[in-house]
Amino acid sequence: MNNPRKTFFSKRTILFFTCLLIIFIIIQFIRPEIKNPPVTGDLQAPAEVKTILKQACYDCHSNETQLRWFDQISPLNWRVAQHIKEGRKVLNFSEWGNLAAGDQKAKLWEAVNQIQEGAMPLKDYEMVHTSAKISANQLTTLKNYLLGTVKPSVYNDTSKINAADKQYKKWQDNQLSPDNLPVALNGITYIPDYKNWQPLSTSERFDNNTMRIIFGNDIAVKAVKNNNIHPWPNGTIFAKVAWAQIVDKDSTIHTGAFLQVEYMIKDDKKYASTGGWGFARFKTPKMVPYGKTALFANECMNCHRPMKNEDFVFTLPIKH
Amino acid sequence: MKSIKYVLLAAIVLSMYACSNTPTIAELTNPKAALPSSFNFDQLGLKAITTFVNKKQGTTSTLYGNPLALKTAIAGTNQIVAGEVFALVTWKQQTDAHWFGANIPGNLQQVEVVKSTPTIEKPLAVSYARYEGKGLTLNSDTLNNQDRIKYILSQKPAIMP
Repeated sequence: MNNPRKTFFSKRTILFFTCLLIIFIIIQFIRPEIKNPPVTGDLQAPAEVKTILKQACYDCHSNETQLRWFDQISPLNWRVAQHIKEGRKVLNFSEWGNLAAGDQKAKLWEAVNQIQEGAMPLKDYEMVHTSAKISANQLTTLKNYLLGTVKPSVYNDTSKINAADKQYKKWQDNQLSPDNLPVALNGITYIPDYKNWQPLSTSERFDNNTMRIIFGNDIAVKAVKNNNIHPWPNGTIFAKVAWAQIVDKDSTIHTGAFLQVEYMIKDDKKYASTGGWGFARFKTPKMVPYGKTALFANECMNCHRPMKNEDFVFTLPIKH
Repeated sequence: MKSIKYVLLAAIVLSMYACSNTPTIAELTNPKAALPSSFNFDQLGLKAITTFVNKKQGTTSTLYGNPLALKTAIAGTNQIVAGEVFALVTWKQQTDAHWFGANIPGNLQQVEVVKSTPTIEKPLAVSYARYEGKGLTLNSDTLNNQDRIKYILSQKPAIMP
């Protein structure tokens, strides 16, 4: 009377699955606390925009997280809790009021760009929360909303002209550069030589009314020439300079006051934790280092992450 | 035999996956904005002076100059001296595929070169040349040359501390 099934479910197998079940039950008591703190200042946007953001982003980017039953099963909920914690830190629509107007604007454009590049919503989240998926039409709705908020620079903006003129006079007299070389909190020193490098591209940013030149050092220029940019070689440095916009009477947009210079320095060992790139931003002609702690580079990485396949570089260099 | 088949199949699937994820050089650079290498632009030894965008024409330009040109441009005296070289590169604008909110150079439109040199007859002569299209072929039309020289020399450099 030997039943082959009996040998299939051997004692060992039963023991193994029983242990697994017991562990599964035990870990149900190890639960991260996922709270919804009060909403202090929610994002104000048209209803159709808000609906999309609520359905696709609010679970991790607001204090109005809605957990489904499957989000609450350990060990899945450990990952869910981590996502929410990190998500809220980067972008929290419930504490929108805490951000300065300029930062609010920048965050929204960044968010829509992350959606466009397919980096958000996170793929594994989207897989189980199918309602979070953003359709092409919904993306268009978000983009049109942003386009509607754009305020193009105008002719004869005296405050912008004055700010530029003031800087320009100092620059002519060699009085504009900082006396010493400021150092960012992650140890990257301001590199004044950027202006002698070659432009790899330029950019008119209508999302934040700036003009930009992206410079590359000799290693970068050579890498472009030799098609050796995937990955970019160690020693590559980019300097992206941003200016305010000044519009003349013929609707030509010129560079105005100097706003900032941002660097990306390639060293796959030294900067392994941030995609092999060292990031730094120096603001105003005084070159004030950006960031409150050395972790500011995480912010840079969050924005550059969708460009992982492009070695984290947004710029499409032009061969000269 | 069967296992070999599976390994092969897995290899093919994996390589297809790898290929679709690695962007080509054409995707990583901006080929339609590129200057033909035969033009030897990099041999001119120029630095960036400024960039501007003509919204009416939908173009974006970068003005380059040799160190002397940059120096006199910053001084803003509008007095051209011998030995200055300016190059104004103009592209049609295109939307930035990687950043919604930005316009970047698209098709290369033209390169204009202004040079000041002493000649036998005059201590200072200013020459102008315009190269057009993707291949940058010289256009010998001289109709607006003086206006273009004036326009190029009147550009204020971008502030680079």
